[in-house]
Amino acid sequence: MNARFSHTMGHIAHGRMAGLEEISEDASLRSDTVVDIEDVSIDYTLGPGKRRVIRAVDNVSVSIRRGEKLIILGPSGCGKSTLLMALGGFLPISGGVMKVNGSPVSRPSMERIMVFQDFNQLLPWMTVLDNVQWGIRKRHPKMSQAEVASLAGKQIELVGLARQADQYPNTLSGGQKQRCAIARSFAATPEILLMDEPFGALDAINRERMQQELNNIWSEQESPTTIAFVTHDVAEAVLLGHRVMVMTSGPGRVRAIVENNAVGRPADDPEVMMLCAHLRDLLKEEIT
Amino acid sequence: MSAPVTRAPVILAGTFSPFLDRFRRLLVVAAIFVIWELAVRLGHVNTLLFPAFSSVLESLATGLGVGGKPVLWSYIWQTLSVILQSFAISILLAVVLTSLALVSKLAKDFLFVVTGMFQPLPSIALLPMAILWFGFSRESLVFVVVMSMVWPVASSLTVGFATVSRTLVSLGRNYELGAVGTLVQIMLPAALPMLISGLRVGWGFGWRTVVAAELVFGATGSSGGIGWYINNSRLFMNVADGFAGILLVILIGLAMESIFLFIQRKTTLRWGTEAG
Repeated sequence: MNARFSHTMGHIAHGRMAGLEEISEDASLRSDTVVDIEDVSIDYTLGPGKRRVIRAVDNVSVSIRRGEKLIILGPSGCGKSTLLMALGGFLPISGGVMKVNGSPVSRPSMERIMVFQDFNQLLPWMTVLDNVQWGIRKRHPKMSQAEVASLAGKQIELVGLARQADQYPNTLSGGQKQRCAIARSFAATPEILLMDEPFGALDAINRERMQQELNNIWSEQESPTTIAFVTHDVAEAVLLGHRVMVMTSGPGRVRAIVENNAVGRPADDPEVMMLCAHLRDLLKEEIT
Repeated sequence: MSAPVTRAPVILAGTFSPFLDRFRRLLVVAAIFVIWELAVRLGHVNTLLFPAFSSVLESLATGLGVGGKPVLWSYIWQTLSVILQSFAISILLAVVLTSLALVSKLAKDFLFVVTGMFQPLPSIALLPMAILWFGFSRESLVFVVVMSMVWPVASSLTVGFATVSRTLVSLGRNYELGAVGTLVQIMLPAALPMLISGLRVGWGFGWRTVVAAELVFGATGSSGGIGWYINNSRLFMNVADGFAGILLVILIGLAMESIFLFIQRKTTLRWGTEAG
């Protein structure tokens, strides 16, 4: 049992139920981790002279295994997006260690591709196909055009945009734009995909559909893509995440890391319902 | 036009308004020319001072080579070549200045102050100095025209850069674009709507300035532009030619406007990035 998670154990102990297991980081798992986050804190500075320091993320430790979908679940303002942005290299960390494949994160990199919530993450002057190809060319400058085209075509097909491949983003719906962004990100074959509430701005029907499809897209990849996915939606977390890291707010700390053996199962599956209830409990306790 | 439809005139106006608008405007243009023609013919106007529209049209056609020597083309080319060269220089200068302003506070302040200073100055006022510095040369013309164009282009581009979506900038960082890559692949295309509107304003200023400068200036070397042609027509009392020159200035201005519209249709309007 890793000492880092001991503060979460008290809760987990009485919350043990089918489908839930606390995380033990034994040596075999450690060897196949993509991301190592150890005691990471992130501070914001505010106000005149930037003298006010606000701690957004406090002493967070977690490892992300190769090929898993790790969900970072927490209420608004718990620092989950901040943590993801830091992992993306967009924000500096104030303390601790953050490593991807053993090397510290210092700047944004194509090893770690972000999918934003903002629909405007597509290049508006490029068609769906060109957006996806643009990403591939950046990542693999030496790839032949034929390969680029076939890889792009495959990903576009997977996200269900084959008919829209020649359309400009302004003619797409919000859901289609996110599909395109997802296709571009998968096509760039990053070490880890960082998704910051990518479906947060979609309507409920589209959101549910996209969640299901993300699971499909993920499982259709040649090798499983490692994903860190930020959300405040419990059902989304249980549908998508092999593990769910629950964060508390003010400042953001790890509340618990929960295994999920019910990925992709329908919402009325007993295990899913139990896990959802458990996660809601964890979040509720945090509010009081 | 709308005789059979009396119950829903509002809807009709909405549906056909582009066509009707264009038609009405053509009518207005035609009316101006007809009134001009009639006024000159019936009103005992001295045609030496104010020629009829038909004689102006004839001058224009002859000058362009329809039933006469195509003398106008060289004047047109002279003016266009000056303004196109100035346009290219202005765009380059504006892009360099505003890009520097993105990365350096000092460059930003410099651009702010200089734009503020030169924006309100009619650059034709610099012509005497330009003549002192460069002589009666093409360089003098290019200098004043650039000075009229570069500031509006730069200030539009500054606004354009400032309003580029943060997400797109992050996207560029994520895909490891360098400074130049970000500028060329993200900032400039994203700022294109503002850039085009700046170019439009810049072109307007430049076009006025080049014609004015030619009027004052005359010819550079052996060839002169449209302004020179207009002034010469006065000297030789070929007033119809002068009017033809003025008409030409208007027509080229309008043609340029449709070129801008064409570029917008092919780019920002198609991409849906045009504001409003």
